[in-house]
Amino acid sequence: MADDKTEIPYGTLDLLILKTLETMGPMHGYGVARRIEQVSENLLTLNQGSIYPALIRLTQKGWIRTTPGVSETKRKVKFYSLTRAGKKQLGVEIARWETATAVVARFLETPS
Amino acid sequence: MGDGDRGGGAFSGDAVVTRRQLVRRVGALLGKRRHEQELNDEILAHLELAERDAMAEGLSSEQARLLARRRFGGIEQMKEHHRDQRSIRVVEIIAKDFRYGLAALIREPGFALVTIGILAIGIGANTAMFSLVDAVLMKPLPFPEPDRIVRVWETPPNATRNPVTTMDFIDWKRLSHSFTALAAERNARAALTGDGEPKRISGKRVSADYFQAFAVQAHIGRTFAVDEDQPGAEPVVVLSHAAWYTHFGGDARILDREIVLDGTAHRVVGVLPAGVFDRDSASFWMPMIFTPEERTRGSHWLRVVGRLNEGVSLAEAREEMRSIDESLTELSPTWKQNWGVLVEPFDERLVGDSLRQSIVVAFGAVALVLLLACANVANLLLAKGANRKKEMAVRAALGATRGRLLGQLVTESVVLCLLGSLAGVALAFVMIRTARPLLSPSLPVTADVTLDLRVLGYGAAVAVAVCLLIGLLPSLSTSFGKLSRALNDASRGSSRSGDGLRRAIVVGEFAVSLVLVCGALLMLKSLSNLQHVETGVRVDNVITLSIDLPLAAYPTPSTATGFFRNVVERVEAAPAVARAALSTHLPFAEVGAGQGMFIPGTDEGINVRYKRVDSSYFAVLGIPVVSGRGIEPSDREDAPRVWVVNEELARRLSLDLGATEPVGQLARVTTPYYVQKGGELVEGTIVGVIRNERVGDLAADDRPVLYVPLAQAPTRDIRLLVESQADPSALVPSVRDALKEIDANLPLGDVQTMHQVKQRSLAGARHPTWIVGAFAAIAAFLAALGMYGVLSYAVAQQRREIGIRVAFGAGRTQILTHVLRSGVSMIFIGLVLGLIGTLQATTVLESLLFQVSALDPFVIVLACASMLLVGLLAGFVPASRAAHVDPMTVLREEG
Repeated sequence: MADDKTEIPYGTLDLLILKTLETMGPMHGYGVARRIEQVSENLLTLNQGSIYPALIRLTQKGWIRTTPGVSETKRKVKFYSLTRAGKKQLGVEIARWETATAVVARFLETPS
Repeated sequence: MGDGDRGGGAFSGDAVVTRRQLVRRVGALLGKRRHEQELNDEILAHLELAERDAMAEGLSSEQARLLARRRFGGIEQMKEHHRDQRSIRVVEIIAKDFRYGLAALIREPGFALVTIGILAIGIGANTAMFSLVDAVLMKPLPFPEPDRIVRVWETPPNATRNPVTTMDFIDWKRLSHSFTALAAERNARAALTGDGEPKRISGKRVSADYFQAFAVQAHIGRTFAVDEDQPGAEPVVVLSHAAWYTHFGGDARILDREIVLDGTAHRVVGVLPAGVFDRDSASFWMPMIFTPEERTRGSHWLRVVGRLNEGVSLAEAREEMRSIDESLTELSPTWKQNWGVLVEPFDERLVGDSLRQSIVVAFGAVALVLLLACANVANLLLAKGANRKKEMAVRAALGATRGRLLGQLVTESVVLCLLGSLAGVALAFVMIRTARPLLSPSLPVTADVTLDLRVLGYGAAVAVAVCLLIGLLPSLSTSFGKLSRALNDASRGSSRSGDGLRRAIVVGEFAVSLVLVCGALLMLKSLSNLQHVETGVRVDNVITLSIDLPLAAYPTPSTATGFFRNVVERVEAAPAVARAALSTHLPFAEVGAGQGMFIPGTDEGINVRYKRVDSSYFAVLGIPVVSGRGIEPSDREDAPRVWVVNEELARRLSLDLGATEPVGQLARVTTPYYVQKGGELVEGTIVGVIRNERVGDLAADDRPVLYVPLAQAPTRDIRLLVESQADPSALVPSVRDALKEIDANLPLGDVQTMHQVKQRSLAGARHPTWIVGAFAAIAAFLAALGMYGVLSYAVAQQRREIGIRVAFGAGRTQILTHVLRSGVSMIFIGLVLGLIGTLQATTVLESLLFQVSALDPFVIVLACASMLLVGLLAGFVPASRAAHVDPMTVLREEG
């Protein structure tokens, strides 16, 4: 980690994307990537390109949907937004994440 | 969310694919290009936006571009990942199951190889055979609207088809309205001279509208114009595509060329497209211009082909031709008053009855082989399934659903079937390649035997049926058995469920094999009868060669007879030659043209086969003179006309015409002209009777043959027969040299020994015999394999029981007989059932058999005995294994 940045924890990219879309409403891919970087205050290393495979996966699962749109540079892009199923899934993912971190935290707190 | 999501946790990037995802991915697969385009747009937009933002932070455009790229990461890797995400994972899942299936097979390579081998034989033989059936019996003729092509024949009272006279043909053409085209054809041969060696090529003389009858257009140039078959038209010729390439190197300027046929220059007006008439031996077609001599009502020499007008049915054409025929009755010779006309579909006669029958029989045989192959594989799978009952029961107890277990079994079977089918198609390809050149002489010219899409489709259908049959049934029986019982049984190691089914399969296999073996033996016996049939001619040490004298070089009868004398003299002078003879027809050759033979004072005639031979013919072939004399060298063109008859004709003369003493009898016979078609009635004396020689194929009855001195009726199409003192093949060069000395421009035909001639005439009987024989052998082998499998399995299952018996003092022989007895009982039931089947099935063969009854007792006993022997041999291996069971080992391992 040359830049002293943290890798995105495995499997959390979906959660980050879903949360971003919930907060920000419809966004294009670049917007999502920028938002994740900004919120993490550049502490996470994110290959911006890696969000696209994640986006298509979430689309196929029916958690997000796409609408065609035009970027600020006048190029055809897709705008991604959360579906109802996606909202529900976000809740599930958050609950899981919280459980997982709580469990890990308990390990760290408890002197062994 | 759906069930499928259970497996994928919140943190798993690769969740299990849900149904919805599947639908989208299938969709993605279909819209692949659109998706790629969209992705590219997104990437470009992303980079532009990133660049813009970076520049807003004060970077130069160059730096901003690099930064945007760096932050984005590897574009190509991302695209690949993106594609993975959107493509169908089902393919992967199937591939995974397929791999499991393969792995399961690789664990038991012996089982896998045997199964795949059996399936390959079954499917391969079937596919290959189908290609033959398809080519000969099913594929439509390679012409547009083949249903409209018909043949028209004259029909004498006691025969069905007779060639047509010139005048009848011309009248039909003039009076009929049913045909778009009505054309006559006649095979012809010509010497092609010009560059290099003179060649003898085959062709046809045809009416100008011949190609319209087949609706064939020229590839380059044109076919014949309407008036090109009228007297005075310039000589033109149409070439086959093959001939264009073989003889003229595919010369693009062929239409500007003239080619020399029989010494006359012919202008090439067209070349036919590739594939049209290509398997026909004809290389050229020239218009048939009737000479005045050919315009008769007596000489039947034309084959007529027509194309029905659109909307005209066969029945309507028949009705019209019948009324035309009636209106022509007055013009016909008196002896033809009760003749009729036959209009039949063109393809009716392409496939002879015996060829059709042979193919049906062979296809039936191969279908039975496939059935046996399936039975065997089902048997093997059943045995294997029974062995795995315990494994299945354990897995079911651990929570695997029946569906899952079934799925796994079916996948394994499907993998087997797929591999078997692939191997089968490969095998079919090899078989077709090998068999095609061997079979083609006995198939009609239009039959194109290939592994084309139709045949592959058939192969695929067979493979699917086989998969369903053998994949599903054993799987069902395996995994749907009572699991608890399976567990109990399995622990005792004596599971016998499914045993009855497997024994029944073996019984069936023996029954089916017996039918095939009986059929094959009957055909073999018939073939052997044909081989040993009394031919009446000597075939050892005789070679033959056909000669065709070009009309230009031999324009008159005397030039031809001069050539004949010369040839015999020169050839006989060559070393090691004993004798040389000339004849218009070889023995075993059908003498097609029948001529009327009349005895002065009677009206009735006999239709005789007219064969012209020289004075040495009977001697060279060892045909004895029964009474009177044979043909002598003194029977020249200027000597009194003489005839020699065979015994059959002598019999018919006395029977039909009351001429009890043939020698010395005067008789009138139509003698063909040398150049023109047709002939004149000539009176001569019968001077001798010779023993029958075989005319036509070996199974045919003796025909009445009239032998005429060649010198008194010369012709240009002739066969040379040379008898050698020793090995006849050594003669070939010297005979050729002798002919070259006489006429260097003479094109020479192929050389054959008389043995080859005889064998060739047997091809029609030999091929189906060997095909059915091979199938019968495969069937017997498969039945043996089935027997071996069932007994092996039974022995393996009963090891404990056998061990105990041995422990209680049973001897090896007792154990051996005990095991074999169960095998023998299966064989006997199989043979009884098989005999019933044989009685039904062999009657189909009857018309193919020569001097063998379809219920030949010797054949049936031999077939039963050989199947019994095969069964015992197959049973002996497991039986002796049982006999060598060591009781201590068995009881210890069963604990």
